[in-house]
Amino acid sequence: MLTLTSPVETPLHHWPAGAKLLLVAAGTMVIFALPDWRWGLGALALIAAGYLALGQDFARTGLRLLRPLWPFLLVLAVWHLWLQEPGRGVLLASRMFAAVALANLVTMTTRLDAMMAVIQRLLTPLARFGLRPEVVALSIALVIRFVPVLLDKATQLRQSWRARSPKTAAASIILPLAVLALDDADHVAEALRARGGL
Amino acid sequence: MERNITHIALFAALIAVLGLVPKIDLISGVPITAQSLGIMLCGTVLGARRGALAVLLFLGLVAAGLPLLSGGRGGLGVFAGPSVGYLVGFPIAAFVAGLVVERWKVSIGIASFAGAVLGGIVVMHIFGIIGMSIMLGKSLTEAAMLAVPFIAGDLLKSGLAAGITRGLARARPASVLSRN
Amino acid sequence: MDSGIILDQVGFSVQGKVILHEMSLSLTGRRIAIIGRNGSGKTTLLRLMAGLMAPTSGTVRVAGLDPAAERKAMLRSIGILFQNPDHQIIFPTVEEELAFGLRQMGMTAKEAGARVLAMLRAEGRAHWASAPVSSLSQGQRQWLCLMAVLLMEPETLLLDEPFAALDLPTQARLQRRMSQLDQRVVTISHDPATVIDCDHVVWIENGRVAAEGVPAEVLPAFKDEMDRLGLRDADTDLAG
Repeated sequence: MLTLTSPVETPLHHWPAGAKLLLVAAGTMVIFALPDWRWGLGALALIAAGYLALGQDFARTGLRLLRPLWPFLLVLAVWHLWLQEPGRGVLLASRMFAAVALANLVTMTTRLDAMMAVIQRLLTPLARFGLRPEVVALSIALVIRFVPVLLDKATQLRQSWRARSPKTAAASIILPLAVLALDDADHVAEALRARGGL
Repeated sequence: MERNITHIALFAALIAVLGLVPKIDLISGVPITAQSLGIMLCGTVLGARRGALAVLLFLGLVAAGLPLLSGGRGGLGVFAGPSVGYLVGFPIAAFVAGLVVERWKVSIGIASFAGAVLGGIVVMHIFGIIGMSIMLGKSLTEAAMLAVPFIAGDLLKSGLAAGITRGLARARPASVLSRN
Repeated sequence: MDSGIILDQVGFSVQGKVILHEMSLSLTGRRIAIIGRNGSGKTTLLRLMAGLMAPTSGTVRVAGLDPAAERKAMLRSIGILFQNPDHQIIFPTVEEELAFGLRQMGMTAKEAGARVLAMLRAEGRAHWASAPVSSLSQGQRQWLCLMAVLLMEPETLLLDEPFAALDLPTQARLQRRMSQLDQRVVTISHDPATVIDCDHVVWIENGRVAAEGVPAEVLPAFKDEMDRLGLRDADTDLAG
């Protein structure tokens, strides 16, 4: 399954994931402490420069990842123009984009397995409560394995619908999809038990 | 034990798939994003604890960089944006929905609807609104106004969740772990 | 019967990978078979004919219309049956699943319900009406899918190896049922024995038409090739 990691190698790809996360956490705290719109735009410009330094394609992909924020940008723009508080609006908007862009830097420069390793490490204290690391690893693997499988079944159900109706598939197909998910869960549980269980 | 794990993993996958499929119509001509429906179903079908774990597993994978949120979104950025409140609220919403279905011993359809409304709407929007209020620098009331337009659609989704849970209870009674 | 299924230089690729190379076919017979190995492109070809996908090049015409574009008209022209009933059945009860296509074609709930009940009665299965689908066996579910499609009375029936996973008596029963049908039937199969009685056989290999003609011409060559491939030790090529 495709991840959001950038295939184009950058120097940041080689930094350890934990270090990057700490830096982003610190950076985010700074971003949310910025006093006014000039600082906000400055932070944003700095981050944008960082992206561009890592490559044009990289920066373009980074920009694409910010697209889902446009409704919020619209809300802020309309709100603050109406309230005649443009400065605050610019601060809030640049804060929003800066924080998200900074966090995305980690995602784009860190491989899935490296992030998984960090998450597993963070979960180890929970082992005393019964959250065994092998179980966590297995669960992750199962989700990654079964998203394409269920997606394929969803597509087939949509085709079965399309074969008999000119309209878009309705929510009726969710029930048979959920049944298939439950059946897959039973089959895999059986397979696990057959191989020694957990 | 194995069944718990596999049910949790498969429903985490289901949440992802419900966000990845092209738009489904709630009723003819009214498209919905089915992902929040998946959150509700984790609770109503798997129960409080397993439902919440399924959602946490899903969020963990999103944080790790998989584009599993509807629209193909993912990565740490989504946790740094204005919808972070909703993401935090997701597992709690599933937990509450599951709790209602587990504890309130009425017909599963009614319990699921109540659970979906309490968890999937009330709890989820409370967290979502708090999140937006902080991230967008608005008061709680102002942030709440941003959430209000979605409530009607969410109510219909709760009805859908109830119908689907009831259908699952009929088709696969042993697998509806919230009542087993 | 209508003017048939005409493919003109139809090709299909997904993400740069060519599944079907440009092919032209004219299918006008009553019983048509598409044979080939797994992964040869037969299923894609069937879905293009059904209009469930649009070709990346060339044109598909069913009864003169483009099946991918004219979805409403196609409901009367084409019915398609897939291999796994569990991936096709959408509704939880028998009568809902049967009535669905009829409702989508414009019938009222009452009309559709009456048609469904009449059909079930004619088949000695009136007691199935409100039964949950999960209580049916696999063969019964596949029968249900077949009936759901036949109720819409399409002029052409497309079958994607629908009986492969069923036990022999169920296969025999459903095959017998199929042979009584008036409409044009296009079947996918990887077993030449099931398609001996067809008017026209199309052999698809690696996304191309390897051969087409009457069974007596195509099947022996197909069998020889399958034997030859079976003697080789490994199936190591990855599809992706």
